[in-house]
Amino acid sequence: MSDFNFVSQPVLGGFSQESQGVSITEQISLGIVSVACPNNGDEALAASAKKAFCCSLPDVSGVEVSDGGTMRWLGLQPQQWFVLFEHGADQGDPLAIIKDQLGDTAYCTDQSDSWVSLEISGPLAISALERICPIDLHPAVFPVAAVARTTMEHLGVIITRTGDDQFLMMSAASSADSFLHAITTSVKNITA
Amino acid sequence: MSQSNRIDGGLVNRNQPYSFKFNNETMHGYGGDTLASALIANGIKLVGRSFKYHRPRGIMSAGSEEANAMVQLRTGAYTEPNTRATVAELFDGLEAKSQNHRGPLGFDVMAANDFLSPFLSAGFYYKTFMWPKALWEKFYEPVIRASAGLGTLSGQADPDQYDKGFLHCDLLIIGAGPSGLAAALAAGRAGARVILADEDFVMGGRLNSETHTVDKMEGSTWAETATAELYQLENVRMMTRTTIYGSYDHGIFGALERCTDHLYDGSGKPRQILWRIYSKQSLLCAGSTERSIAFGNNDRPGIMMAGAVRSYVNRYGVTPGKRVSVFTNNDDGWRTAIDLKAKGIDVTSVIDTRSIAAPYNVANAATIMGCRVVDTVGRKGIHTIMLSSGQTMKTDCLAVSGGWSPNVHLTCHQRGRPTWNEKQACFLPGGDLPVGMSVAGAANGEMTLQAALTAGHEGANNILSSLGINTASAKASKASAESAKITAFWHVTESRSRAWVDLQNDVTTKDIGQSFREGFKSVEHLKRYTTLGMATDQGKTANVLGLAIMAECSGKTIEQTGTTIFRPPYTPIPMGALAGRARGKDFRPFRLTPSHKFAEEQNAAFVETGMWLRGQWYPIAGETHWRESCDREVKATRESVGVCDVTTLGKIDIQGRDAAAFLDRVYANTFGTLAVGKVRYGLMLREDGIVMDDGTTARMGEHHFVMTTTTANAVSVFRHIEFCRQCLWPDMDVHLISATEQWAQYAVAGPNSRKTLQNLVDKAFDISNEAFPFMACGKVTVAGGIPARLFRISFSGELAYEIAVPTRYGDSMIRALMKAGKAYSIVPYGTEALGVMRIEKGHAAGNELCGTTTAANLGLGMMVSKKKDCIGNVLSQREGLNPDKPLQLVGFKPVDTTTSLSAGAHFVTKGDEATMANDEGWMTSVAYSPILNCSIGLGLIQDGKNRMGEIVTAANPLKRSSVDVEIVSAHFVDPDGDRLRV
Repeated sequence: MSDFNFVSQPVLGGFSQESQGVSITEQISLGIVSVACPNNGDEALAASAKKAFCCSLPDVSGVEVSDGGTMRWLGLQPQQWFVLFEHGADQGDPLAIIKDQLGDTAYCTDQSDSWVSLEISGPLAISALERICPIDLHPAVFPVAAVARTTMEHLGVIITRTGDDQFLMMSAASSADSFLHAITTSVKNITA
Repeated sequence: MSQSNRIDGGLVNRNQPYSFKFNNETMHGYGGDTLASALIANGIKLVGRSFKYHRPRGIMSAGSEEANAMVQLRTGAYTEPNTRATVAELFDGLEAKSQNHRGPLGFDVMAANDFLSPFLSAGFYYKTFMWPKALWEKFYEPVIRASAGLGTLSGQADPDQYDKGFLHCDLLIIGAGPSGLAAALAAGRAGARVILADEDFVMGGRLNSETHTVDKMEGSTWAETATAELYQLENVRMMTRTTIYGSYDHGIFGALERCTDHLYDGSGKPRQILWRIYSKQSLLCAGSTERSIAFGNNDRPGIMMAGAVRSYVNRYGVTPGKRVSVFTNNDDGWRTAIDLKAKGIDVTSVIDTRSIAAPYNVANAATIMGCRVVDTVGRKGIHTIMLSSGQTMKTDCLAVSGGWSPNVHLTCHQRGRPTWNEKQACFLPGGDLPVGMSVAGAANGEMTLQAALTAGHEGANNILSSLGINTASAKASKASAESAKITAFWHVTESRSRAWVDLQNDVTTKDIGQSFREGFKSVEHLKRYTTLGMATDQGKTANVLGLAIMAECSGKTIEQTGTTIFRPPYTPIPMGALAGRARGKDFRPFRLTPSHKFAEEQNAAFVETGMWLRGQWYPIAGETHWRESCDREVKATRESVGVCDVTTLGKIDIQGRDAAAFLDRVYANTFGTLAVGKVRYGLMLREDGIVMDDGTTARMGEHHFVMTTTTANAVSVFRHIEFCRQCLWPDMDVHLISATEQWAQYAVAGPNSRKTLQNLVDKAFDISNEAFPFMACGKVTVAGGIPARLFRISFSGELAYEIAVPTRYGDSMIRALMKAGKAYSIVPYGTEALGVMRIEKGHAAGNELCGTTTAANLGLGMMVSKKKDCIGNVLSQREGLNPDKPLQLVGFKPVDTTTSLSAGAHFVTKGDEATMANDEGWMTSVAYSPILNCSIGLGLIQDGKNRMGEIVTAANPLKRSSVDVEIVSAHFVDPDGDRLRV
């Protein structure tokens, strides 16, 4: 038994808010692993991802859901993906979940602590995001299972649509307070 | 005060009575009124004083082009100056005051300026107040500014909230008049994503001010019906109270939506929203603005634009006068007389400059063709007009129409130039329009209602086709017929009195003539010299008139004379809206370190380093000055152990078969030879051979490195090496990703740092000096299995480590370290102590890596490997960077050790004058060393390594200081590095 008490702390303490048609919830048990493809290793990586996770690698701005919906592969740039999956602090090393399966077919980096992840949902979610999100969120342009990198209030953000009026947004963990403030201010400004 | 000028009809809501105050007098109006219409309803003619001459002025228009009727709206911190009464929507409890007068509005002592007008002509302030020179800033300018100008600011912080946002559409329709509504119906019914924006609070534009019919309905009824349909369409976004103020690149527009300006209390919601609208196509349906004719004393209260008079009568149900005259050069002006007669208002005369048959018959009014108004009488309200025929007529309102100028502004925001149309006597959109923009309706010179409706409809259909959207089959609506003939007429030459061109800036026809005679022959010069077309109205009613008169002066055509450049914004945008949320602490985001909460608990002082907030020092009870805290932290660390949050340093995860080779190219020194489990200091050069950044890079595996950068350059280094990866060497197998946020990293420094860590690192990991020597690195676990990375590196010059855990454990880690080091009296230390220790050790940092220094300057020239190529290698060998006596980084100690040194001081040989010619280098960093008990510095001085022991002078003329200093080694503490390796 260690003399030291280490507590896994969500960046925003597990923030959750529901306000007049908009919910904001911090995703506190999200494993995030960056997967990069070695040069000329496209086929090998595709095969190992298929074998290990039953997943086809999405194109940039696309999302593939695998393993019965437990894993989301976000195509962020050529030859690079983020894999998102449920992963509690007591479940060991999130990197190993992916790295052990993909082996040398990918370069993997744990990003689970790099990002604050906020889910925004509800009928007024898009109205709130209009105040800070420069990209077009119309469903014809940004449908469910689309992902984009953008900036909101000077902060880099990865946004993916997870439902008709539901989005997951990831921004740098260190500026989580500012990011949350940007979103809650937007919600406050659009609701009565 | 009763609404003496309220008449029947109009679109105001008489079931919604409002009270408001103007100059502290309570008045009444209705919902749907503007402040201007309510003032007219209450018989108010005099609403303000003019800019320069303090002439009495009234309301001249009914829209955003208003040049006269500007008021100070609201009170206290909420007050806003220069609000145009014509666009200020009336609400219950509104308070407004007139501007720019000393004493009561009716008796302005500054009106004496009017009698001094011969001395106050165009450019008078360029020619006078020249001497004594010193008085300009202290006396003349303040006096001029106090006596001229507009409203006043509250001097308090704006308590309102503002917001910004982003919108996207297939088609942005700018203006919801007849052409805009017709276009919106066509595009909306076809299913396109449409935004319809209008600056008014009611859609319909001129349809609400005229008596035309559309599809056998009153124009305003048709507009209401169309608007109601559009509101039902999910694909159409209706934006009233929204001004599209600027056209920018790639179909992007700026828009200001006024959300709560029409409410007494905004309830804390954003007052205004500044939107960026991204459109695939845009259709400008901005209509046109009526302009005046210049004649003697044409600025008196009661002289208004003819179309505005119709607006007040037809839309607002108020009459600006009881005995109205019309002065026009076009058919449209006659409609004012007809509409007023229909309302039972006495029209005394219609004076038309054209010698043609009267286009309309106006019963019981004198119709005088080929005649001009020469002068007017009535200081605070017109009561008489004099005609060129010699006739004199009584009138209390003169409606003037000099024709309509299409609102081409947005077509010109990307340097487009409109083209002159002689037949229509107006500028039309011309040249290259902004990408994706079309124009329809009066803005395009389609001056009749039918033409506007058709143009809007067809314009939308053309755009839909270009977007690949099927058009609906409906045809354009049908409107009643009208005539829109005009013969250009600019100013009445018989007038002997001053004739105003720009009412907002008090520019007269004489000013324009004088400007021309004095050599200002370009319209741009005319504008700057006379101020024609400046300020809130930007000359919407004045510009064409002004340049037409200028054209006459020069003997050129209007086409040859041209226009001034149109620039955003179309109408004024409050500074608060431009700032949006970016105020106070929300000016920009901030980043917090993993130990931030702990640092707050220790009452740490924080310093902004980029966006990071870092602990600067950690005071304890009894310490009253930062130096006390800093000195204590330095001594405690050097004597035992200290801990510092270094998470802010950039961390880049580098993987790939070519990772080592990649590092050899981006670093000046070699990394291919670095063993797994080892760390090496790396020096990165720019392409030009100047030092870009430094840091340590650890080899975590054969193909896996972790690079650290300085805090300041974390982003720029990542960007640089990502550029190298993608663009310079795309064939290299290497991948990069930032891991700065992933790890909470702490420096643990001091002779007891190992003992401290041994309490925390799990026993399975041997971190003794033998097993984990200087510059070792590796994965460990702490506190019974928490994953961590350990690096034995030192910035302080002491035995030191950096230990990193996943960020979620960052708060636990700092508390654990404090607990683990408690027996050794561990202290947290901040950036001040960190800075002191690195200066004592002679480590270069941001002050030395300043973008002008080379590796050789920093004493690191040997690190630029000649065995391999790297970025910056070749150009670092330039002759200019390698002089005989280069600047070299050395240490400095004051001869008088009680003296403080100052960074930025320049070195001169002792006895020499402190001049640029004698400059030998400069002090880059200074600190008070609690170890040496004196001020010390690092600096760059010519040939410094060979001048050890020499006394030079550190001169700082800015601080008027001059200190003799001794050149010493940069390594004040542990020059041989023994402490690092124990």
